[in-house]
Amino acid sequence: MVWEFFKAGGDEQLEEIEGLIVQMLLDCRHTFDLAINAVVSGTEAAAVGKTIRKSDRRVNKAERKVRRQLVVHVSVRGERADLPRVLVTTSIIKDIERVGDYAKNVWDLADAGIDLSQAADVDSLLELRDRTSNLIAESARIVGDRDTGAAESLLKELEDVLDEYDDCIQAQIESTGTPRDAVPRALLCRYLKRITAHLMNVLTSLVMPFDRLDYYDEDKADRD
Amino acid sequence: MSPEPGQDRVPPWVRLLLVLILLYIFLTGVKALESGIKAFGEDFTNSLFQRASNPLAGLFVGVLATVAVQSSSVTTSAIVGLVGAGSLPVELAVPMIMGANIGTTVTNTLASLGFLRRTDEFRRAFAGATMHDFFNICNVAVMLPLELLTGVLTKTATWIADAVGGLFTFEYGESGGALKTAVKAPARLMESLLDRLGCGDHLTGALLLVFGLVLIFLALAYITRNMKLVMAGRIERSMNAVLSKGGGLAAITIGMIVTVAVQSSSITTSVLVPMIAAGVLTLRNAYPMTLGANIGTTITALLASLAAEIPAGMVIALVHLLFNLSGLLVWYVVPGLRGVPLALAEKVAVIAERRKSFVVVYVVGVFVIIPLVGVLVLQ
Repeated sequence: MVWEFFKAGGDEQLEEIEGLIVQMLLDCRHTFDLAINAVVSGTEAAAVGKTIRKSDRRVNKAERKVRRQLVVHVSVRGERADLPRVLVTTSIIKDIERVGDYAKNVWDLADAGIDLSQAADVDSLLELRDRTSNLIAESARIVGDRDTGAAESLLKELEDVLDEYDDCIQAQIESTGTPRDAVPRALLCRYLKRITAHLMNVLTSLVMPFDRLDYYDEDKADRD
Repeated sequence: MSPEPGQDRVPPWVRLLLVLILLYIFLTGVKALESGIKAFGEDFTNSLFQRASNPLAGLFVGVLATVAVQSSSVTTSAIVGLVGAGSLPVELAVPMIMGANIGTTVTNTLASLGFLRRTDEFRRAFAGATMHDFFNICNVAVMLPLELLTGVLTKTATWIADAVGGLFTFEYGESGGALKTAVKAPARLMESLLDRLGCGDHLTGALLLVFGLVLIFLALAYITRNMKLVMAGRIERSMNAVLSKGGGLAAITIGMIVTVAVQSSSITTSVLVPMIAAGVLTLRNAYPMTLGANIGTTITALLASLAAEIPAGMVIALVHLLFNLSGLLVWYVVPGLRGVPLALAEKVAVIAERRKSFVVVYVVGVFVIIPLVGVLVLQ
């Protein structure tokens, strides 16, 4: 512990925190992959439940660690603390933690007995799975690299994705099928929309000022 | 490449060079203070310090002086300067050094007032700050009577000073080493300048005294500011390590190292207050860091003793170190006693949380009224 003081370098504390954020995103992806496969790929829900909870606890633990490190950063640096960056970080770790929570909600569907692996629309569900999983991974890469260009173009693409999820939910509301067919799909689309919206909040932290963060998890009409 | 917001624009090596220059200015200040006191003449200083011959009065003088300058480093360096000039006897200086230890805690107590409007945070912050007060008060309550009865701190410090002096062949007296000669030069230059201007002994003494105190104060303030900037990343990393791995001996060492690096225990302890307030650092984990800071702050007096004319300067600096080490042994190592300063701080914080007026009574009472009345009554 004492050695920490004498180690080379010293001014990269916020970079270290960014590393933790990337790790949180990768843990969320892991949780999501396990959870969605239990719904759409036939993985047994009980078999992955323990791993999902462990991964979620890791995300929550990382969130607390980031918060502690930010308190230390502000306490030590005082007026020289990079406050906008600190505030942005507190905002996005909450979004990442929510991504983990929604991934867990996806698993809750499987745990409640929902298995869509044999459904007629399984291919489109697998497509949603891959898209969301890749989106989490890409967000982690963009945050890690601070790739503002990629963040901007991805945000533009994702606006349409949010609309797609709204359409999906609407389609289930209007569906003439059984509740057992419609409800899980509506919930799944809702969870995927929320995951996407929270990831968009994370991405906006790279391209927007602090006061304009955090609105993508609201409906389009409420954002302005 | 321009630095990012919040990043220091001055390269660390420039700041470290600046710190070396400031250290020289600091030692020059100690020397000027010594010369100023000498210029007053022996009769004057004898009559001055006879007033503080009561150990409790000396203790309160130490508290008041430190509260006034908000830095025990300044007070202890000045005391080392006075002792080093042979103007203040070690036995009178010991309670003053102890008082300086109490006085320095006012800074983080004031820092805790920033949380006054948020009840829970304030309770934790106030407990975190006053734990340092209570540790020092408890330590004085044990060590001052013990020192007065046995002289254990002075005797041990004298023994170490003799041993260390022999080991490093320190030369005391007029000739001195290269460092002493270097720090003497500006003080002598000013003394001769004032002499040429026709200033009498007392005016020369007063001007040198003020000049010395200003140099000590400014040099220490700027050393602290520069070192804090250079060391911020390391301090942050060390604090994170304490948060994740807990307290204990390592936390004591980190508190000590950080304080030595920034030359101010107030910086270390004040940094802890917001962390305690936020609840990310427990009182029990902050306590050993505070004790480490108490030990680390003694480095300033030890540095000041390098400019002292006689070994007594080093003796009093070592008394400061031994006093804080004894405190650590009594109030941290002994398990039953470890919780006493913490329990007192927590109790006081609960009272302060309920009655905000108590905060004013506590701060003004402990750091101003009691010492002031003590000095007036006991002198």
